[in-house]
Amino acid sequence: MKTREITLYVNGEAYHLNVQVNRTLLQVLREDLDLVGTKYGCGTGECGACTVLLDDSDTMLSCLTLAATMDGKHITTIEGLEKDGKLDPIQEAFIETDAIQCGYCTSGMILKSKSLLAKNPKPTEKEIRTQLEGNICRCTGYVKIIDAVQKVSDNLSGK
Amino acid sequence: MTDFKYVGKSIPKEDARAKATGRAVYMDDMRFPGMLYGKVVRCWEHAHAKVKSLDLSEAAKAPGVVKVLAPEDVTQQQYCCNLFDLMAPIPVSRDFFGDLEDESIFTDHVKHQGDAICGIIAKTEKDAERAAKLIKVEYELLPLYHNAKEANKPDAMQFHPDKPGNLAFQLPEQMFPDNAYGWGDVDDAMKEADLIVEDTFYVSKQKQAQMEPHGYIGHYDDMGRLNCWTTSQMPKCVHMKIAKLFALPMTQVKIMQTTIGGAFGGRLGMIGEPYACAMAMAVPGYHVKIMYTREEDWVASESRLPGDYWMKIGFKKDGTPVGVDARFMGDGGGYYTHANGVPFTTGAWLVGMYKWGTCRYKGERYFTNHAPCGAYRGYGNPQTNFVMEQLVDRGCKELGIDPVEWRTKWHKDVGDDGWVLGFQYASCALDTCLKEGAEAFGWKEKREKYANQTGIKRRGVGVACMTHTSGAMPMLLEHTLVVARLNEDATLEIMLGCSDLGTGAHSVLRTMAAETLGWPREDVHLLTGDSDANGFDIAAHASRTIYVGGGAVVSVCEEVIGQLKERAAKLLEVGGPDDIVMEGKNLFVKDHPEKSVSANSIAYDGVYNFVDPATGNRMGIPGQIVAYSSYFPKHNSPPFSAVFVEVEVDTETGQVELIDFLNAYDIGKAIHPGHVEGQLEGGAQQGLGHVLTEDMVYDEDCKIMNASFTDYKMLGPSDMPPMKIMLIEEGDPEGPFGAKSCGEPGLVNPVGATANAIYHATGIQFKKGPITPERILRGIKEKGLN
Repeated sequence: MKTREITLYVNGEAYHLNVQVNRTLLQVLREDLDLVGTKYGCGTGECGACTVLLDDSDTMLSCLTLAATMDGKHITTIEGLEKDGKLDPIQEAFIETDAIQCGYCTSGMILKSKSLLAKNPKPTEKEIRTQLEGNICRCTGYVKIIDAVQKVSDNLSGK
Repeated sequence: MTDFKYVGKSIPKEDARAKATGRAVYMDDMRFPGMLYGKVVRCWEHAHAKVKSLDLSEAAKAPGVVKVLAPEDVTQQQYCCNLFDLMAPIPVSRDFFGDLEDESIFTDHVKHQGDAICGIIAKTEKDAERAAKLIKVEYELLPLYHNAKEANKPDAMQFHPDKPGNLAFQLPEQMFPDNAYGWGDVDDAMKEADLIVEDTFYVSKQKQAQMEPHGYIGHYDDMGRLNCWTTSQMPKCVHMKIAKLFALPMTQVKIMQTTIGGAFGGRLGMIGEPYACAMAMAVPGYHVKIMYTREEDWVASESRLPGDYWMKIGFKKDGTPVGVDARFMGDGGGYYTHANGVPFTTGAWLVGMYKWGTCRYKGERYFTNHAPCGAYRGYGNPQTNFVMEQLVDRGCKELGIDPVEWRTKWHKDVGDDGWVLGFQYASCALDTCLKEGAEAFGWKEKREKYANQTGIKRRGVGVACMTHTSGAMPMLLEHTLVVARLNEDATLEIMLGCSDLGTGAHSVLRTMAAETLGWPREDVHLLTGDSDANGFDIAAHASRTIYVGGGAVVSVCEEVIGQLKERAAKLLEVGGPDDIVMEGKNLFVKDHPEKSVSANSIAYDGVYNFVDPATGNRMGIPGQIVAYSSYFPKHNSPPFSAVFVEVEVDTETGQVELIDFLNAYDIGKAIHPGHVEGQLEGGAQQGLGHVLTEDMVYDEDCKIMNASFTDYKMLGPSDMPPMKIMLIEEGDPEGPFGAKSCGEPGLVNPVGATANAIYHATGIQFKKGPITPERILRGIKEKGLN
């Protein structure tokens, strides 16, 4: 299998990697970098469990992305949100609003929520629902996840 | 009202931080040095076939392959993945139910698409997958059976010699005369009816679709112990089943749970543990991990039991239900699995719901060439809800009776027989649920407002009731062993086998322990998920963990308190434990708070017990405090609920929009309101999906057509209605702190309520579930709008 040398920036750290060209970003994150917070749910880009942040704003599905195409890119995984022992407000909100049940979708859901708030700090409920469409949760009925996003948004806008 | 410190408060659950940071360890996150990867090789191309030849030679030579396993290379002992043979007395399961062990680890008779034919162990997952492609198999094709009717034809091929007509199970004559569950003479009663409503419905094959696919690690270690890490929701039964399958004593088998990424019944019984263990035994000393792909999980693991469901209800003019007659013919799939479970409970929920004058339910399950059916949240209840609640509404419409009024008058109540005849309801708040729910929902106003619509988009409101259970007794075994050990600093280690599938059950059990003791939550720890440490617990099934596990935890804490008081009475030289009061960690003589001793000193002295060199006597009372409770609940305290749904049906496109949703729920007492709401909201997503979109679709070759999240539509955030949950807390005399269950029920009556709302909007009842836009358009075309 062909390989390619890339520099991948993950959670602020540079990794010089020689990756096989058929390996996905999800595999490299989980298997090579031991960042197992990013989850495999379907492997076909349908469930959102593998969501990561690109350049701190856009989200991407790491199961559909070949690692070899990510040279020079900056990725944030769920492990990168906590800073100096302090959780990101969206992580706090998910905990406080009971938005986490089995937790398997949570990493992707939190990163997707972070992205949507980065782009639109005051989303309507409908906008939150639409933005979260690509992330499947089978436990919560989405109610408390939407509450969590709303809560962070309210805090941001000082409501 | 008792003033609780923790009970009734929504404390963030303790694994939430680990999950929010991505640090919770799920199966696929676990690794061991030198770990190998197992691949179960499945038959994807056929749903019914004999393996004529299997050539593994090329695969064995492939890079990275450590071992290939043909059917004859693993134990030839057959098994049943379900565990009802452990839950019911042996004569009942063997002689009455006719339980079968008809599964092999690898088979030469493929009975459904995805059946396992052999295995590969390799250094990486990729190596195993590549090698699987080199296996040469020749099949002899066998006739295909899509459903019960086809499988039951006289000339159909027999799936099992002991099951003529491919009838895997029906209610056994020895327990159910005429193979029917119920009471009275239904035929006679129907003659007295002024109105009879009757139809055959089809209830769909729904997939649990938990977010984490099934996964396992097996390890046959150097001490001859077989270790298995699993995502099972019934680890202790798996412990015994695996020991039996591999002919090992239970001491030589260890079962450990990882964090579980959802279950919903999909992890009930054994799923992939036999493969992981068989592979581990083939490479002693090495860990072997098997992770199912999503497609594998979908195609090969169990689902809800679908089938044709006929029902007939007779009413008097005033609404009196003189009788209900029903027959459910389940399309069970290739193996026996839960054949004896769902066909019974499907009727049990019918028996338990309304005051039928007479009742006769027949439940059967047949072998077919679809994926086997097993447990899925509700266990027969959504099937009955879809049929019963629609027919009740049809009767109400014909008789001009309001559906809420009918249900208020005719639901079973305290003192009536529940889902097991002869076992009466101890509490029921359904009147309150219906009354307060209807008011909050604006039932009357909406019902009238939408009565005569003419536009393209038409709204409707529907209601449906539900009763379920808190644990499976008296039908099945209910038992949890809890052992508690008081540490030398007067904190308590509680060891029990109850699982937490993501519901927050462990947090809540800890809360119940702390509340019973009157100690801080931090002073209680739960040790779970390890068969070496945990005694028997039947499973996280039948919505039992808070009710039965909670009851067990409360009783063991009471035993700890009793032992502390006994020692305090001796130390303080008063009559006995009844003369002692414990407040927090302080134990004192009743009415004499000055005479006291601390739990800390009792605990410490019990462990660090020395002889006083001056007197030669022991200081304090020797012996570490250990308590246990082998707990069998006295009841099953069924919860009740009324769900109200408002829909808007686009009569040109058939699209159904969910406008409003309310679940008024009889919880007894919500130990953790946030978690209860979460169960009911999440249950609604699955119930609404069951009635509107979710069904595993098979082609004419019995191969699944929609094994993906794209093709199998589940409701997403934009599809879900705004949700209101009303928790009705009137207490239950048997439940711990008055609590009843909430795990499965949230899924159940959104099904009937949505179907009834569509009926209200269009005047049409849709008999085939799910009620998709295509079916709505076809129904409108055939029957016209009201």
